[in-house]
Amino acid sequence: MLELEQELTALGAALEWPPTPNLAPRIGSHLRAPSGAIHVPTWWGGRSRWALAAAAVVIALAALAIYPPSREAIANWVNVHTSFQQVPHLATPSPQPPGPLGQRLGLGGITTLPDAQKQLTWHITVPSSLGQPDEVYLQPAPDAPALGEITLVYATRPGIPVAGQTGVSVLITEARGAVDQNFFGKMMGPGTTLEPVTVAGHQGYWIAGPLNEFFFTDASGGVRSDTVRLAANTLILDDGGTIVRVEGNLTKSQSLELATSLG
Amino acid sequence: MEGRPEEESELFSRAQRGETAAYEEIVRRYQQLAFRTAYVITGSATEAEDAAQDGFVKAFRALDRFRPGAPPRPWLLRIVANEARNRVRSTQRRLGLELRLAEGFRPGDAAPSPEAASVAAEDRGRLLGLVNGLGEQDRLVIASRYFLELSGAETAATLGIPEGTVKSRLSRALARLRARYEEPPGA
Repeated sequence: MLELEQELTALGAALEWPPTPNLAPRIGSHLRAPSGAIHVPTWWGGRSRWALAAAAVVIALAALAIYPPSREAIANWVNVHTSFQQVPHLATPSPQPPGPLGQRLGLGGITTLPDAQKQLTWHITVPSSLGQPDEVYLQPAPDAPALGEITLVYATRPGIPVAGQTGVSVLITEARGAVDQNFFGKMMGPGTTLEPVTVAGHQGYWIAGPLNEFFFTDASGGVRSDTVRLAANTLILDDGGTIVRVEGNLTKSQSLELATSLG
Repeated sequence: MEGRPEEESELFSRAQRGETAAYEEIVRRYQQLAFRTAYVITGSATEAEDAAQDGFVKAFRALDRFRPGAPPRPWLLRIVANEARNRVRSTQRRLGLELRLAEGFRPGDAAPSPEAASVAAEDRGRLLGLVNGLGEQDRLVIASRYFLELSGAETAATLGIPEGTVKSRLSRALARLRARYEEPPGA
C-alpha cells in the first residue's frame, strides 16, 4: 500500500464518529408490533415518533410542574399518541424504616436473582465489582416477560456513601428497551449535567446531579416513565438492548468501573 | 462482533422465515457500519440515524429477495446508502462531513513521545482537512475505502456505481489528494 493510502487508513482509525444509535431494539419493536405490519417510519413514525413522544413528555412534565394532581390525567392524555406506562413508585423514604431496604422504594416484589432470571427472557447483568446484591426486586410483566424490570439493591459498599437516609449505596435497574437522551435530558434540574459515554463499546450517559424522571422505550415500543429513586448521580447504559441504570453517590470513574464489570 | 459466515447465513435464513429476533441480531451487528456509511453520505448524524433505521426496515421487507449465501454487507449497505442519498436529494442540501480526530490514542497504540504525538496529530489534522476539502465524489470514495474500510464491491454498492468506476474514481481522487498533500502547508 502506498504511503498516502497508509496514512488515510491510519487517519480512519483515529477519527471520532458520532455515537452509533442502538437501532436494533427499536426496529425489533416495530417488527413485533401487534398489527403485524412492518412500520416504515414516516412523519408519524420512526424518529419523528420519538420526537413526538419527547414533545409530549415535555408538555406533560411542564403541566405536571404546574398542576401536580393532574399527573394521571396527563399520562392518559399522552397515551392518546403513544403507549405511556408509569412504573408505580413511592417517594424516597426518610427516615430509614426496619425491614428490607428496597421495600419502601417501590421497586416491586422482593425476590432472588435465580428466581428473577426464570421470569425474564433476557440475561440479568450483575457488576462483579460490587459482588452479589443485598436485595433483588422484580416488577414482572406476566403477559410479556420481555417487559419486566429488575432492581439490584446494594447496601453499604466501601468507598461509596449511602444515599440520604435510604441505607442504600447503589441501585441498579435493568429493563429491555432503548434510550434517547432527548427524552430524559429534558428532566434534568439546574446544575445537572449530561455527558455521553461509552463503556466496552456500549453507548451510555453519565448524569451528574439529580435526574427526577427517566424515560425510555421498552421492548414493546411504548414509552415508559420511571422515577429515579436516589437523589444522586446516574449512569445509563444501553448494554445490547438492556437498559442498565446505575444510581448512587458514585463518581464518574466509579460508575464507569462498575459498568465495565457488568456481566 | 461479526459471526462466522455460517452463523450469518443461519441468521439470515431465520430472518427470512420471519424471526424478528434473528433480524434484530442482524441489525445489532451492522448498525454501526450502516450508521457511519449513512453519516459519510449525509454529513448529519440525525439524517444518518433516520436513513439507517429506514434502510434496515426496508431491508427486512426485501429479505425474500436476498440470495441465501450471498455476502450481506454489500446488500445491506446498498439499501441504507440509497436511503441516505434519497434524504440528501430530498433536502436539497448536503452538510459538510464533520469528522474529527479522536482525542488521545487508542488502546494498543505505542506510546509516542509528546513531540511525535503532536506532529502525528498535526499531520492527521491536515490530511483530514484536505479530504474534507475535496469534491463530493472524491471525498465519498476515499471515506468509503479508508475510513469505513469497505471493499471495492461494498464501496460500489454504497455509492451506487460499478466496481470498475470505483477503481478509476479512487485513483483520480488519490492523485488530487496527493498533489495537495505534497504541497508545503500554507502554500
